[in-house]
Amino acid sequence: MEKRLIKKDALTGIIGKIAADTTVYAPVKVEDNVLFKVLEKGDEPLVTLANSKNAPKNFFFPRTEVMLRYTRTTKGMEFSGGEKEAGEAVLFGVRPCDARSFVLLDMLFDQEKYKDPYYIDKRQKTTIVSLACAHPPYATCFCTSVDGNPVSSAGADILLVDLGSDYLAEIITAKGEKLLKYFGDVKADAAADQKKEAIAAQAEKEIKVQIPAKAIKPILDVNFEHPFWNTIHQKCLACGTCTYLCPTCHCFDISDEMKYGDGRRLRNWDSCMFPTFTKETSGHNPRPSQKERWRQRAMHKFKYYVDNFNAIACVGCGRCVMYCPVNIDIRKIVEDISKL
Amino acid sequence: MQNPYIPYPVEVIKIVTEVDTKDIKTFRFAFVNKEDEEKFKYIPGQFGELSIFGKGESPIGIASSPTQPGYVEFTVQKAGVVTSALHEMEEGTRMGLRGPMGNSWPIEFLEGKNIVIVGGGFAFTTLRSLINYMIYGDNRKRFGKITVVYGARNPGLLIYKEELEAWGQRDDIDLNVTVDKGDSTWKGREGFVPTVCREVAPSSENAVTVICGPPIMIRFTLPVFFDLGFSKENIITSLEMRMKCGIGKCGRCNVGSKYVCKDGPVFSLAELDKLTKEY
Repeated sequence: MEKRLIKKDALTGIIGKIAADTTVYAPVKVEDNVLFKVLEKGDEPLVTLANSKNAPKNFFFPRTEVMLRYTRTTKGMEFSGGEKEAGEAVLFGVRPCDARSFVLLDMLFDQEKYKDPYYIDKRQKTTIVSLACAHPPYATCFCTSVDGNPVSSAGADILLVDLGSDYLAEIITAKGEKLLKYFGDVKADAAADQKKEAIAAQAEKEIKVQIPAKAIKPILDVNFEHPFWNTIHQKCLACGTCTYLCPTCHCFDISDEMKYGDGRRLRNWDSCMFPTFTKETSGHNPRPSQKERWRQRAMHKFKYYVDNFNAIACVGCGRCVMYCPVNIDIRKIVEDISKL
Repeated sequence: MQNPYIPYPVEVIKIVTEVDTKDIKTFRFAFVNKEDEEKFKYIPGQFGELSIFGKGESPIGIASSPTQPGYVEFTVQKAGVVTSALHEMEEGTRMGLRGPMGNSWPIEFLEGKNIVIVGGGFAFTTLRSLINYMIYGDNRKRFGKITVVYGARNPGLLIYKEELEAWGQRDDIDLNVTVDKGDSTWKGREGFVPTVCREVAPSSENAVTVICGPPIMIRFTLPVFFDLGFSKENIITSLEMRMKCGIGKCGRCNVGSKYVCKDGPVFSLAELDKLTKEY
């Protein structure tokens, strides 16, 4: 693995150079929010962000995406084209929790038998440059409870670690290798590695919250009907904020829209929190109240995903905790489940 | 990479109105591109997404049998946006079809056994596929005795009437058609499906029953088969859930960690017992 040292103030210049050659999505300040957007000439990417408000899953699994188009002909409605393929891109400034979410989403969208071409196309063409959390930014961070780590390179093609005066750039994958030329020729030495180790150890310590997320699967296995499920949903508004901000939530709806004989089929983010999510034409709904929907959300993340892919579908980013309008806290739920 | 979300273009080549209430029709589709028929190689019990551009998609069990080449059939009740649009269609119209999806009736498991088919109302479509598959030519030899119990509320609601007639003529199917309540012209059997099953009393010896119908019918039919000595491994059924993608990605049709669209829709009662009752 190639490693480079770059001066701290050189980073924005490097991103600018990459952006001159290819599309770069980077975190920028938009009003009060930090959001990922396409870097245009003159845009300054944020390199000292905490984390973006939205998870960057949007770049591989957009909240609305055209799946196909059709048009009216004399024979009826006919297919007129698929969606155009994505271009090469670099996604800069992804935090390790969010980078790891891509590994989890790959398990679902890139299975052996059923492949999702829309996701895979964008995923394959995008290089991910992660920014390690030398100091985990939020009190709600809990990545270390769900197999993550603030300095993890999982899901990243290049990992940048803030060493104080320099960044250590670790080239993780062959895709990352293609960007090596932008990162100068100062090879990182053993001292840099040691510094990184020390920062990683410190960063891990700074995460104060530990939850028993990995221990609750056997409890969930046998407690589908537990009265506990009557309690957690009580204050839920079914707004779906948690699922929309979640880096690993992947449920979607497919809908059609038409105008003057031309139409398109879209896929839109959907949410298991919504009453209509499982409602059938007959009126029957297998998840008739918020109780069943919350149980589904908890089960999906901490049991079903583990059953199917041997991984918890949570990266510990803390967004659902921070932005839930009624302060439902997944950490507390996991804690409570562990005591059932 | 084959895009599983892009439907094969198909043409409606035949429409049969199955019931007096006219809200259940069988649609026969031919593939516009011959090579797509090869790609849509299916097994009885699988389903497809009927895709109408501008309206949406609806997952429907395949009613024809793979032993009937050249077309594929779906029997559809008019209910929502897509199925209503479908019911407005005329022969010659083009639309889309995705699939085949899901597992299937466990053909290999059924081979060499006596088969008891139990259907209620309009949930007889993939059972019809299975029956036509089993009785086709040399296939018939691969299965033991075939007993069919099929019921509807009244004679006008029985589907596949011509086929029922034809099956009734054969001596290698024990066909028992029943209606909850007959009318002046009905000469056949009257009685609810569970009752008729008890009367027909198929032996559980080396036998498997495949049951599809409304929940109320299934609830009262299962005890009959338990009494007859059928094990839960030998009672097979098919589930329905709201679906979108059909390939286990969109996240809504799961029962526990199983997706009905790709891990189902066919489950044995033994398998269902291990899942949550959220369907």
